[in-house]
Amino acid sequence: MMKEHPPQEKTVEVRQSAGKSFLFALPMMLLTLMMMLGGRIPSDPQQLFVFAVTYLFFNVLFFLMLHTGKTDRYRAIAFITFSLLFVVSFVSHMFEARGSMSLSHEKIILCEVPFCHLVIPMTLIPAAFTKTIIFPGMITGGFASIASMFVIWIGASLSMGRGWCSWGCFFGGLDDAFSRILKKPLLRKINPRWTYLPWAVLLAIVLTAAAFLSPTYCTWLCPFKTVTEFQAVTSFKILVQTIIFVSLFIALVIVLPLLTKRRIQCSLFCPFGPMQALTNRINVFDVRIDPDICTNCKRCVKACPTLSITEESVRAGRTLMSCMKCGTCVDVCPSGAAAFHVRGTPVEENRNMKRLLFLYVAFLFLATFSAGMIQDGLSRIIRLITTGSMI
Amino acid sequence: MQGFVLGLSSGAVCAAYCAPVLVPYLLGEGRSVLQNFSALLQFLLGRLLGYLSFAVFAWGIHTSLPQDIVHRNLLIGAAYVILSGLLIFYSFFKAGRACPSAGGQGIDHWLRDSRPSLFLLSMGLATGLNFCPPFLLAVATAAEQASLLQSVLFFLTFFLGTSVFLIPAPFLGLLRGFYALHVIGKMAAGLIGAYYLFIGATMLAGGFFR
Amino acid sequence: MKRALKIAGYTWAVTCIVAVLATFIGNNYFNAKLASATGITISPWFSGGEIVGSIDHGTYKTVIRRPVFDGLIGERKEGFIQIEWQPVTVLPPVIEDRIDFTGDGKEDFAFRLDTTAGTGALTPRNPSVIAIQTLVKVNQGWVARIQLRKVS
Repeated sequence: MMKEHPPQEKTVEVRQSAGKSFLFALPMMLLTLMMMLGGRIPSDPQQLFVFAVTYLFFNVLFFLMLHTGKTDRYRAIAFITFSLLFVVSFVSHMFEARGSMSLSHEKIILCEVPFCHLVIPMTLIPAAFTKTIIFPGMITGGFASIASMFVIWIGASLSMGRGWCSWGCFFGGLDDAFSRILKKPLLRKINPRWTYLPWAVLLAIVLTAAAFLSPTYCTWLCPFKTVTEFQAVTSFKILVQTIIFVSLFIALVIVLPLLTKRRIQCSLFCPFGPMQALTNRINVFDVRIDPDICTNCKRCVKACPTLSITEESVRAGRTLMSCMKCGTCVDVCPSGAAAFHVRGTPVEENRNMKRLLFLYVAFLFLATFSAGMIQDGLSRIIRLITTGSMI
Repeated sequence: MQGFVLGLSSGAVCAAYCAPVLVPYLLGEGRSVLQNFSALLQFLLGRLLGYLSFAVFAWGIHTSLPQDIVHRNLLIGAAYVILSGLLIFYSFFKAGRACPSAGGQGIDHWLRDSRPSLFLLSMGLATGLNFCPPFLLAVATAAEQASLLQSVLFFLTFFLGTSVFLIPAPFLGLLRGFYALHVIGKMAAGLIGAYYLFIGATMLAGGFFR
Repeated sequence: MKRALKIAGYTWAVTCIVAVLATFIGNNYFNAKLASATGITISPWFSGGEIVGSIDHGTYKTVIRRPVFDGLIGERKEGFIQIEWQPVTVLPPVIEDRIDFTGDGKEDFAFRLDTTAGTGALTPRNPSVIAIQTLVKVNQGWVARIQLRKVS
C-alpha cells in the first residue's frame, strides 16, 4: 500500500565520499585500462593523447556516478558522446573508402556491408530454416562482421538485457541527445498505445523478412541510414526508400524527442527494443520500486524517457518491459524507492551494492564497446582542426 | 491429384507469403481458435475465388497472361495496392482501432456492424491474386487443360494442397488473452499494408521488386 | 531457500561482469566458433550462390554460379544466375560468352559484355532466361545477374 505524504528527504543514501568512490572506482580503472589497451600501448603521440583523453573521460564519469549517486546524467554524457563520435568515425571511413556515404552495388555484390544489431531479429527465422543469413555482409573477418556482432549481442543480452538500449547501442545516444535539449516538453500527452508500435514493427519485419528473404527494416525503414550509409539512388524504388528513412530520422530522432523530451525512436519505433525486452527475461538486473519507501509523488512516471513507468507499475513495484535501465527514475526519486535490483534478492537490501554491481557491468560494457570508436572519432576531429579534413 | 501434389509441394511458399497478411489479422482480432478457423475459411474462400476466376480466365484465353513481364508486374502491383489498402483500412478503421490517432467514425461503424466476411474475402482474394510463384506454375498448367472443368478441378486441388500449410494459423487464438497482441496485430497489419503499398506502387511505376 | 536465491542472484550478477569481459576479449574466438558450429553462410540471394563451373579464356575467366531459386522452404518460381568475368591478366574490350547452366549441352543464353562502356546485351535461348537484373563492375572484373524463371 502506497504511503500518501509529502516528499521527504531521500531515505536511501547512494552518494559516497570521494575516498570511498575512488576506491570503488579503482577496479573499473584497471579493467578499462586493460580492455582499452588490448595489450598494446599506442606509440604515436597523437594516438596516446587520444587514448589518455578517452580513458580519463570514462573514469571521471564513473567516479562522478559513484560520488554523486547520480546515474543517468553521467551515463548520458558517455552514451551521447559515443553516438556522435561513432557517426563521425563511420562517415569518415565511408568517405575514405569510397568517397561518399552511399553504398555501391559493388559492396553489396561482394558482401562487404557492415552488419549492425538491428538486422538480427530479421535473420533468425530464415537462418533457422535455410542456415543462411539474409544480409550482404561477412560472416567473419573485416569490419563489423556478422558473427562478431552476434557475439556482442549475446554478451550484451546475458549481461544487461534491455540495458543495451541505454548502455550499448551506438544509435541510441542520438535521440537521447535531442530529448535533452529543451528544458520542458512542448508535447506532453503521448497515448500509451504507441508503446505497442515497436512490437508491431518487430512482427511486421520478421514476417516480411521471412517471406521475402530480405532485411525489410534495413531496406525500407531504418532511420539511421541517414547518418551511416545508404544505397545510391538509382531507381524509383530506392528514391522512395530514401525519402522514408530520412523522414523517419527527422521525425523520430530529432523532432519528436525534442518536443516530447522522450526517446521516441528507441521506445516507440525501434524493433530491436522488444527483442531485448524478451532477452531481458533472462537477465539478472532490473529496476524495482520499494512500496514501503515510495511516496507516490509520480516523479518517476513523468521523468521516464521511455514511458516505462506507469502508476499501475509503481503500485506493483516494477517498471514495464520497455525499461532500458537508464537510471533516470532512480535519480529523480526523492525517497530513493526506485533502485537498481538484482533478481532473487530482497528489494530493500544492499541497494548500494546492487547499484554498484549493475554499474560495473553496464559501464564496463559501454566503455569497452565504445572506446575504439570514440578514439577514432576524436582523432578525426583533431585531424580536421589541424589539417582541415577528417580523411 | 497432380494439382493437389503441386499445391502441397509449394504450399510452404504460399504460407510464407500469406503469413504477413494473415498473422497480424488473426492476432488483431483476438478471437478463439474455433473462430479463427472460421476466419481462415473465409480468407481461403477469397483465395479460392481468386484462383478459380483465373482458372476460367486461363482456360478461356489458352495462354498464361501472367508470363508477360510488363502485364504481370501491372497485375501484381495492382493486387499489392489493393491488399495494402485492405490492411491499412483494417488497421485504422476495423472494430477496435489500433492507431491511437485514427478517425473516420462513419466508415468504421459501417464495417463494424456488417460484413466482416466481406473484409476477409477481399483480403483472401487480393492475396490470391498476387501470383505467388506456385500459382504462376498452376496457371500455366491450367491454361493447357482441355476443358473448363479440368482447369477448374486442377486449380481446386492445387488450392487445397496449398491451404494445408495455413492450418496452424488459427491456433494464434490461444494468445487471445493478451490484449496487447490485439493492438500489435492491428498495427503490424497497417505496417505490412504500407509495405505492400510501396512495393505495389513501385511495380506499377515500372520498377522490379528485386 | 531465500538465502540460496540471494547467493544465486549475487553470483549471477558478478558473472555478468565476467560475461562482458569474455565478450570482448574472446570475441575473435567466439565468433569463429559460432560461425563454424552453426555452419552458417550468407544467403545465396546476396552471395550469388556457389560456383559450379568456370571457362578459361586465357587472359580472363568466366565464372558460373548455380541458379538461385532458394525460398524459406523449398524453391521460388523466380530467381537468378550470377556470371562473373575475372581478369587473369586483362579483360578484353568486348566479351561474348555462350552459357549453358543447365548442363544439357545446349546454350541457355548468350551474353555480350562491353567492358569499356560497361554495358551488356543478353540473348536468351532458354525460355527460363528473362533479363539482365544487374551488371556491376567489381574489383577489376564484372558481375552480371540474369533473372530466371522456372518453367514447367
